[in-house]
Amino acid sequence: MKAPVSQRTRPLMIIAQDPSVRLKGKILRAHVEVPAEEIAPGPWGYRVHVVDYDASTDTFYKPLLNPSFQYGGGDPFDGQSDKELLDNPNFHAQNVYAIVMRTLARFELALGRRVAWGFYGHQIKIAPHAFADANAFYSADDQALLFGYFPGRQGTVFACLSHDIVAHETTHALLDGLRTRYTDPSSPDQAAFHEGFADIVALLSVYALPAVVSTIINLNATEQQARRVARKQLTLAKLRQSMLFGLAEEMGQELTTTRGAALRHSAELPPSASYLKPGNLEFMEPHRRGEVLVAAILNAFLAVWAQRLKSLGEVAPGYLDCGRVVEEGAAVADYLLTMMIRALDYAPPVDLEFGDFLSAVLTSDWIINPSDEKYQFRQILKDTCAGYGIHPKGKLHSECPGSWDPPPAHLNYDRTHFEAMQHDRDEVFRFIWENRKLLGLDEDVYSRVLSVRPCLRIGPDGFALRETVAEYMQILDLEAGELKRQGITAPSDMPADQTIRLYGGGTLIFDEYGRLRYHLHKRLKDADRQSNRLKYLWDYGYFKKGETAFSFANLHRQRATGALSSVKEEW
Amino acid sequence: MPTAKKPKSITLRTYQVGFGDCFLMTFHYTSGDKHVLIDFGSTGAPKTSGDDLMLRIAQDIQTQCAGKLHLVVATHRHADHISGFATNRAGKAPGDLIAACKPDVVLQPWTEDPDADPVTGTVKGDRKMFTASLRNMHGISQSVLTELNQRPTAFGKTLRGELSFLGEDNLTNKSAVENLMEMGKAGKAFYLRCDDTPPLGSVLPGVKLHVLGPPDLKQSEAIRKMRTKDENEYWHLQAQAGASSAQTKGRLFPKAAILSAADRPPFARWFIKRCHKLRGEQLLGIMRALDDVMNNTSLILLFEVGGMKLLFPGDAQIENWSFALSQAGKRKLLEDVNVYKVGHHGSLNATPKSLWNKFTHKDKPGASERLTTVVSTMAGKHGKPANKTEVPRGPLVDALKAESDFFTTQDLKGASKFFMDLTFDL
Repeated sequence: MKAPVSQRTRPLMIIAQDPSVRLKGKILRAHVEVPAEEIAPGPWGYRVHVVDYDASTDTFYKPLLNPSFQYGGGDPFDGQSDKELLDNPNFHAQNVYAIVMRTLARFELALGRRVAWGFYGHQIKIAPHAFADANAFYSADDQALLFGYFPGRQGTVFACLSHDIVAHETTHALLDGLRTRYTDPSSPDQAAFHEGFADIVALLSVYALPAVVSTIINLNATEQQARRVARKQLTLAKLRQSMLFGLAEEMGQELTTTRGAALRHSAELPPSASYLKPGNLEFMEPHRRGEVLVAAILNAFLAVWAQRLKSLGEVAPGYLDCGRVVEEGAAVADYLLTMMIRALDYAPPVDLEFGDFLSAVLTSDWIINPSDEKYQFRQILKDTCAGYGIHPKGKLHSECPGSWDPPPAHLNYDRTHFEAMQHDRDEVFRFIWENRKLLGLDEDVYSRVLSVRPCLRIGPDGFALRETVAEYMQILDLEAGELKRQGITAPSDMPADQTIRLYGGGTLIFDEYGRLRYHLHKRLKDADRQSNRLKYLWDYGYFKKGETAFSFANLHRQRATGALSSVKEEW
Repeated sequence: MPTAKKPKSITLRTYQVGFGDCFLMTFHYTSGDKHVLIDFGSTGAPKTSGDDLMLRIAQDIQTQCAGKLHLVVATHRHADHISGFATNRAGKAPGDLIAACKPDVVLQPWTEDPDADPVTGTVKGDRKMFTASLRNMHGISQSVLTELNQRPTAFGKTLRGELSFLGEDNLTNKSAVENLMEMGKAGKAFYLRCDDTPPLGSVLPGVKLHVLGPPDLKQSEAIRKMRTKDENEYWHLQAQAGASSAQTKGRLFPKAAILSAADRPPFARWFIKRCHKLRGEQLLGIMRALDDVMNNTSLILLFEVGGMKLLFPGDAQIENWSFALSQAGKRKLLEDVNVYKVGHHGSLNATPKSLWNKFTHKDKPGASERLTTVVSTMAGKHGKPANKTEVPRGPLVDALKAESDFFTTQDLKGASKFFMDLTFDL
């Protein structure tokens, strides 16, 4: 029987975080809504294709079409014991399918459009038991997410059963589709952003599940106590203790090692402006640096939640209803998750720095929700980020301090067409060409429009916000000896014939009338930025190891083994 | 007869072991000779060197030292540095001949200290975890070799070659390790870390030994915030993962239905091929990381005698060197090195540029007191020129040739020519 077209989502059972997060000794489960679609055995849908092949042992597991994927079919795994779930690769396939689809749907909801993977192709392949290895990663070349498995202290540990790992890897694939140049060699911030952002999305996705929040908050409570929670347990400090350290503790320690225990490390970072200061070598390492961004954002999440709880009525003197507390937490996490994803549209296409991302977050939220009364998220984000030395790049906006500065006035729209500007890259390029001087572009370099994406968002007032987001980039290839003429300083020991590629570019946000609302510009011939970028890349060996293509697999292993860059000492 | 206080000359005999290290350093005193064996291992002898190369070397060592070694150094436990110490039941293996020379002292890095053994030892905490990681690494190597054997067609020839090489070099050399331990027990054993000062006055009078590496965990942390816990945990998990793939072949889910090769859907072929390629790259990445960790347990020894300095850094890479090079006093000490055993067979990251740049005896050909450099290596075993990872590394060899009297075992060809001698008057 075919599913009726009216069915938009279907509920699927997943493991809420990972098999080590338990309630009364049983694995904590959750039901999540994922987009409904016609599914082939795999599961194999329009965006996700689970291929359960194990390259370590050359085993191909037979895919099943579970009744839950057919109209009216119940979830066959619902009544099964924990052991049955763990022992069945088909459940693992369902689990990973559901979390990837949920993450994708979350991105599409926030951005108001279809979101492509970071490769040519519609369906990402997922190998839930790809190899015996303490690793999991996204590989654009293979159009795949690959999850490892390994024996742990209490049975085999499966990366594909860990909600945050699956969401993390899916986020890499989606971010790679939205900002293809973020894997380019650039600044330490950009190198750190992919990991930090993937962690933020993964952790907020987990916090947005009420089942997880209530379990973590009430870890030591008896059943009767579990219905209410003492107000004194809900201060910012206490929430930090339970939600950051508590969850980090609960998460399979063996699993977090595959990603370097991001949550634990971030939780252990108290606010300090010193981490990101130039010269702090520990935090020049991409993963460590990414943890600073994660710490800032998670602390903002907790601060907003704690503030919301202050106004919540008590069910008994000194006690709040646990359900309401959890609901607030999940809602705050969900709102922040939307903010984070939306901000990507407002981020420059190349050479991203944390301050750019913060301005992007503030701007994208302000446009759709100017008042910010309910959560006061923008102020709290700005404050917590400042505590970690992250300051917005936008300087001029008086109504929403820290948001992006407006574009130049008097741009020429006469030679372009409104309708074509919403989807046609050549049309947008014509706009750029006509306005290149006003927009401050370098004219004597190669330029190309990367994407033009119309999007539709619904604001809290119920009105639709239509915008068009276009990205362009500029490239100039030079030899190091030629940099001086551009005002750029080459690293002192770089040979004059070293080939250099300089990047620049911008994101153009057009409003619903087709007028340019923002131009998030990274000028190619910004001498300071390029000099710093070259120094960083030279010091950290990019020019020597340039042949080794960027790979998330290596990045994750380096994170786990703490590999040190020593390229200056090499031959 | 009392031993004269200082040697009057030194002979450094460098053996052709293919890819590996073996040096016999003889200190000539007026009263007699003292013999120091530094490493004895190989992972692939040149075809031209004839059969039983390691045995002939052991016999030569025995002859040279007239049956008595005074000091044996095993810089680290890679096969290419210690395989020659292995013994056999008949008592006729190269390692048996070395053991018969009854060394007075055996020097090894602190990581080999049996008291630091994670199972039997008394050492606790991070240090114990670290030595446990090293043991895990042998397990990983074994499982990679098992996977290679089980999957004869899964990986390309070049990748297979490199994986086998790294795998075999990192296997546990049980017999060699035990022999070193036994020789240490019979004489005296020192398990050293940077700044240790083993009392060698009676063994090598007039020779000052500086231990410049490896740093122990505390010393490492002094220069870098090491996330030892994660790191060790990673190797622990990796070892278990390796063991499971070797053992569980197809049995991860005993009750699950699986598809035979013939039944697999054609659309999956492209992906399966990609998975094989990825798996190969992944194993190589793991093996390289593991190999680096093991290299960085190398002893770095500086012998100072009669105004001369001889530097033997084993396979130490920059992570090991960093601690010593972070100290002004040690940098100064290293400036006027006269003889440098090129680190790690001339690989790209075992002769730190900041070390090389400071050597003051680098000079033009023919200059007096010109730096002498010796490398034991074999091209084509390790790394690729296309990746700028070949061993020995081209630009390093060029620099060694240009600024020092450079000697390489690659010039030793033919069965009879399996060593070269360099003599230094003091």
